[in-house]
Amino acid sequence: MRSGDFKESYLEDEKIFQSVWVKVWLAVLIAVLAVLPLVADDYVIYVANLTGIAIIGAVGLNLLTGCTGQISLGHAAFMGVGGYCTAVLMSRFGLPFWCALPAGGLAAALLGMVIGIPSLRVKGLYLCIATLAAQFILEWVFVHWEGVTQGIRGINVPPPSIGSIDLATEKRFYYVILLLVLAAVGFARNLLRTKWGRAFVAIRDRDLAAEMMGINLFRYKLAAFAVSSFYAGIAGGLWVGFIKVVTPEHFPFSLSIEYLAMVIVGGLGSVLGSIFGAVFMVLVPELLNVLTSASKELFPGLGQMLSPLKEVVFGCLIVLFLIFEPHGLAEIWHRVRNFFSLWPFSY
Amino acid sequence: MKGTRFLFAVMMAASMLVCGLTVGPVLAQQAIKVGAVQPITGRFAFAGVNIDAGLKDALGMANEAGGINGKKIEYIMEDGQYDMKVATAAFKRIMSRDNPLIMYGESTGLGKAMGPEIKDRYKILYSSTSFSSELANVKENPYVFVSGPTYSDMFGILLKYIAKEKPGAKIAFFYSDTEFGKDPIPYGREMCKKLKLELVAEEVAQVGAVDVTSQVLDLKRKNPDYVIFQGFVVSPVAEVIKQCRDFGMTCKFMGTFWGATMMLLDKLGPLAEGYLAVNPYTYWWQEEIPMIKKIREYTKKHYPKVEFRDNSYMQGFVTGLILVEALKKADKAGQLNGEGLVKALQSIKDMDTQGLAAPLTWKNNKFPVARIWKANVQKKIYEPVSDWITLED
Repeated sequence: MRSGDFKESYLEDEKIFQSVWVKVWLAVLIAVLAVLPLVADDYVIYVANLTGIAIIGAVGLNLLTGCTGQISLGHAAFMGVGGYCTAVLMSRFGLPFWCALPAGGLAAALLGMVIGIPSLRVKGLYLCIATLAAQFILEWVFVHWEGVTQGIRGINVPPPSIGSIDLATEKRFYYVILLLVLAAVGFARNLLRTKWGRAFVAIRDRDLAAEMMGINLFRYKLAAFAVSSFYAGIAGGLWVGFIKVVTPEHFPFSLSIEYLAMVIVGGLGSVLGSIFGAVFMVLVPELLNVLTSASKELFPGLGQMLSPLKEVVFGCLIVLFLIFEPHGLAEIWHRVRNFFSLWPFSY
Repeated sequence: MKGTRFLFAVMMAASMLVCGLTVGPVLAQQAIKVGAVQPITGRFAFAGVNIDAGLKDALGMANEAGGINGKKIEYIMEDGQYDMKVATAAFKRIMSRDNPLIMYGESTGLGKAMGPEIKDRYKILYSSTSFSSELANVKENPYVFVSGPTYSDMFGILLKYIAKEKPGAKIAFFYSDTEFGKDPIPYGREMCKKLKLELVAEEVAQVGAVDVTSQVLDLKRKNPDYVIFQGFVVSPVAEVIKQCRDFGMTCKFMGTFWGATMMLLDKLGPLAEGYLAVNPYTYWWQEEIPMIKKIREYTKKHYPKVEFRDNSYMQGFVTGLILVEALKKADKAGQLNGEGLVKALQSIKDMDTQGLAAPLTWKNNKFPVARIWKANVQKKIYEPVSDWITLED
């Protein structure tokens, strides 16, 4: 019987697959996700796709905010840059989706590095405002650079395809998103185990101390911004490929806040937490919607009351998390898992 | 603390479970299904609730009168909250769960986002709360129609009216920096040239703007005879009119459909003197009109507390009438599907709405006919000042 989680070396502590069971369960999860489109209807897959896109975006933001400690309020704008770049490349230059998507990610990463430059001088709340400015400047650009973005009307994107495989339906696109989510999560998880990841964490914990230890702040802060924006750009590009239209309304300031909320609710600095956060933030409103429409017959008029309540529920959840579980859903998950795996001899 | 945390985790799990379990079973019925994603909450709720009621009542009335050649219509509505993501999810949910023949959408954005899929995949008849010219595009959106004139048509109708009343008049456009505001502007410019009207100013303000001084000063310099608002609902229309009047300007102010609401009249108060608006439907207070009479009776019977319905209700209602007509025609032709409905829609000619709108004739996925109304400040109503004006092109 196990009574605790004991490790004897750092190497062991850094292992992704702590036991054989982790591998088994992960394989089961991937298998379930792979067959999901065969059994679920379009709506479920639509929500699954939204969740996948949110996961990629949230993992990206968590690398920047959770791991490196640089708060960004411009995440939605970076998604927008990726989205618009993908859309323009596809619709105007006829590039295939698989070329346009990484290009969108790179464009967002480049811009993220530019926006990240102030982070060398300003910290905390001040950086918050600097990135907030980026959000509003980019939103303005989306609306007014009509030659490229077609202004408020937005850009219609042809249905994406890879080679001769048409990805127009939710179910086909689901696999693209699933693969990219796996890649994004795998990369982020591994990044945190490298020198780079440790540098990020050192900067978060105390940048002055990090610099004393020989960590080049310029390089690593910008790298964090670049990686995070790249993730955002990919998420934005996927959103555009999925919805097949892009307008400035798709990347509002509230979306940046939503991503920040995902990261906080899920657990700052944890890749698993970003996944939980994203799933939570996408599914709760959907569940509330289903709940209101199911209760419509019994209590007519309830919907009108419950819909605005969604914001209230969200607000309360975030406050509750900050008070009771600052480490987020990931920590709850760890506790529950440990409870079962160590039962009945938990310390 | 540990206890609290565990309790919190359990509470979270329990609430998720409850949410999951309440996914109610859906009754399967042999009926003609009409789905709708309406902005019942959110920014556009003031109209969404009315539009929803209008559409529902028109279909309900048709059901009371025997349905579509005996078949009942089932109206399935979900709240889209005027939020693209929520609305798209609701749209997909209805499509995969109920697979309706017809869908009604809550915004221009939703129509644009779903346009390609409606055309290539779902192949269903689609209409929406939007009067966007872009949606009523036969080539790109063959299944999408606007249940009245588009914003561009409304501008055309207003300008035609002006050209007749005061040839060569000086015009100013006052619009918001949104899709809704900019939609008819290029067409409006063209129309001004065509009708030999002089477009002297174009002012842009944000929806809900408070400070409009610079725009008003510019208007004062350019001194237009007519100022046409587009892309606002209430604010800053009242502020602009007030400041212009304070400067002693005598120009006439005009608005399109969302500037023809009772809500605006209430807000304007005495400022509404001489205000003109274009509206394709008749109003609640025109009791002499047979369909208005019917609507009032129906409302009295089903919603005894409701005393007034704004023009957005009529929009929903007329859409319902058009849908019923198309369904009847398609059913008779034995083609109760998207293709059949589009064909039926295209064949609509001089459709009688019993006075609720002009006789409706399909033209390029819209019905470009409306009339000009003038605000009557004493009675607090709009009164018609023109006959129905049809836009030729």
